[in-house]
Amino acid sequence: MDSRETILSSIRKHLAASVPNDEPPQTVVPVVAPTPTVTSLVALFRDNVEAVNGHCIVARNEAEVRQAVTQILTVHGARRIAISDAPALNGLIGEIAPGAKEIFEFDVGITTAQAAIAETGTLLLDSARERHRLASLVPPVHIAIVNASSIFQTLAEALAFIRKDGDISPAVTFITGPSRTADIELTLAIGVHGPQELYVIINGA
Amino acid sequence: MNHLSSETFGENAKAALANAQLRGALRHATSLFGKRRLEAARSLSNWEDLRTEARAIKDDVLLHLDRYLETFVANAEKRGAVVHWAIDAAEANAIICGLARERNARTVVKSKSMTTEETHLNDALEAAGMQVVETDLGEYIVQLAGETPSHILAPAIHKTKGQIAELFTATLGMPPTDDVAKLTSTARATLRDRFAAADVGISGVNFGIAETGTIVIIENEGNIRLTTSLPRTHIAVMGIEKVLPRFADLDTFLKLLPRSGAGQRMSAYQSFITGTKRNATDEGPDELHIVILDNGRSRMLAHPVTRQSLACIRCGACLNACPVYQQIGGHAYGSVYPGPIGAVITPQLIGIEKTAQLPYASSLCGACREVCPVKIDIPQLLLHLRSEIAASPKGDARERLAFKLWAKVMMSPTLYKMGALAGRMMQRVMPLSRAWTSGRDLRPIERQSFRDQWKSKLSNG
Repeated sequence: MDSRETILSSIRKHLAASVPNDEPPQTVVPVVAPTPTVTSLVALFRDNVEAVNGHCIVARNEAEVRQAVTQILTVHGARRIAISDAPALNGLIGEIAPGAKEIFEFDVGITTAQAAIAETGTLLLDSARERHRLASLVPPVHIAIVNASSIFQTLAEALAFIRKDGDISPAVTFITGPSRTADIELTLAIGVHGPQELYVIINGA
Repeated sequence: MNHLSSETFGENAKAALANAQLRGALRHATSLFGKRRLEAARSLSNWEDLRTEARAIKDDVLLHLDRYLETFVANAEKRGAVVHWAIDAAEANAIICGLARERNARTVVKSKSMTTEETHLNDALEAAGMQVVETDLGEYIVQLAGETPSHILAPAIHKTKGQIAELFTATLGMPPTDDVAKLTSTARATLRDRFAAADVGISGVNFGIAETGTIVIIENEGNIRLTTSLPRTHIAVMGIEKVLPRFADLDTFLKLLPRSGAGQRMSAYQSFITGTKRNATDEGPDELHIVILDNGRSRMLAHPVTRQSLACIRCGACLNACPVYQQIGGHAYGSVYPGPIGAVITPQLIGIEKTAQLPYASSLCGACREVCPVKIDIPQLLLHLRSEIAASPKGDARERLAFKLWAKVMMSPTLYKMGALAGRMMQRVMPLSRAWTSGRDLRPIERQSFRDQWKSKLSNG
């Protein structure tokens, strides 16, 4: 018997031994979450991004987005900029999706986000749509651009969105604020392994 | 202070109680964790319903664990993951060392995984000639110090920043500082080189979704994302109990876990990894190996009381809430899993022979049950294990006899009356056993029993 069969038969054997003591199983009653009425998903999302030490910029259109990006790059004196391959970022100056060997040399990473969760200030990045994994993680500054119309209110909606095609991408990442740790005396320190600064630009609000 | 044994729990606890620095660090951390958890839980109006639902989901998983595991594995394999089954720690370590060796790995980066602490994977990899680097800041500190984690969530909770600064000065040549931001950025800079050099990344798993074959890993630092994105090979180690049926179940568990653990509404990063990348030129590792570990877990399925242990999602809330953990910290337990959940899991994982003291490391106050996001009745489990220990050769024959007598007396009014009378007289001439009273106060038996008072009051009219 191989290990797979040994483990599975051990599971079955011990579950069978438990039967005399078992009570009838409870049925899983899904919690119907009371979803609060929100007047502005954009405002709620912005507040929650800021609550976890992220910066949030609300832009009315593409031109304002580009302006905000330029400003951020100037503030940080960015020299090497990594850009994901998202079509929405066409025309930005930088190198497209640098690989694992080069990415450590970059100052800023720019990506989009396919969706967001207003209740928690969370960005959703999907590897099937965009090469986001390194650009959103390794450079000390991450700029993420998300459409106002892609902001969901709840986590449940975002989880459903991940599976909306029935399929699921190899790597989906939720990002809520910059990288953080509290491993030393529970004192918050920002930017331990991932970005130290997270800028979220909401487009089309 | 480190590498203590569960067998000497009593002495370990005494030594910890005498360590003022440790107790200061623990008092600070556990009370802050507790406060943050409460605030985070209160941010949801349906917290209790979520706990109930989460437990029902876990109970369903555990009652059909074979089926859910098979579904999970089939779906993960369909997406290109290679799944390995490990009956025990030795087999898991052999599989992982073999994979690393075949890839000529020299540097292995790891993100925090209690399961690999349980299997002592680092020792095995180092014995195989590889350099193993823990990348979670707390784990890194503990590794530099040659210690073991003392908390499921915050491995270096027992250390003050002063001690960490001394450690970094000694091991990394950093100028002395008490600035947490500076300590953190030094660790960041040092570990970046290791990430860049790593051939293999090893992570744990928070949830494995049967429906999709997805593994979900949760963190705040970004080291898990680096571990699972940069090296060409990713090896994920998960206990058999980590399965959830549906992707949508994450709605419940992603609300409970970060709130119960660090007191956050959402951890900074959740990675949902489903198989391998689709094209060779895509980002991320070329291969994903999932090692499914039993190591004594399937035994716990054999009784509904012990089965609850497998519902644990490793949030650490019971540690912070426990008045025993708050005083002695994690190392005294001499086990990978400390605190209330450790006191019930450890004896079940490695047997009661060497761990018989652990189920007694509790006042049964119930604070752990109160905070548990999946409503594990830890006091019930502690009592269950105590009765197993009492009935085993590890139990004390005198104690067994004493409680048998006690039961007889308590069930007979005549014997009870005689016993109380005898006790009242005896306590004047013979103090109670010192083993019993050295750590507890015992009130003397009153001169007049309630029954006697009742009788005399009635007759006085």
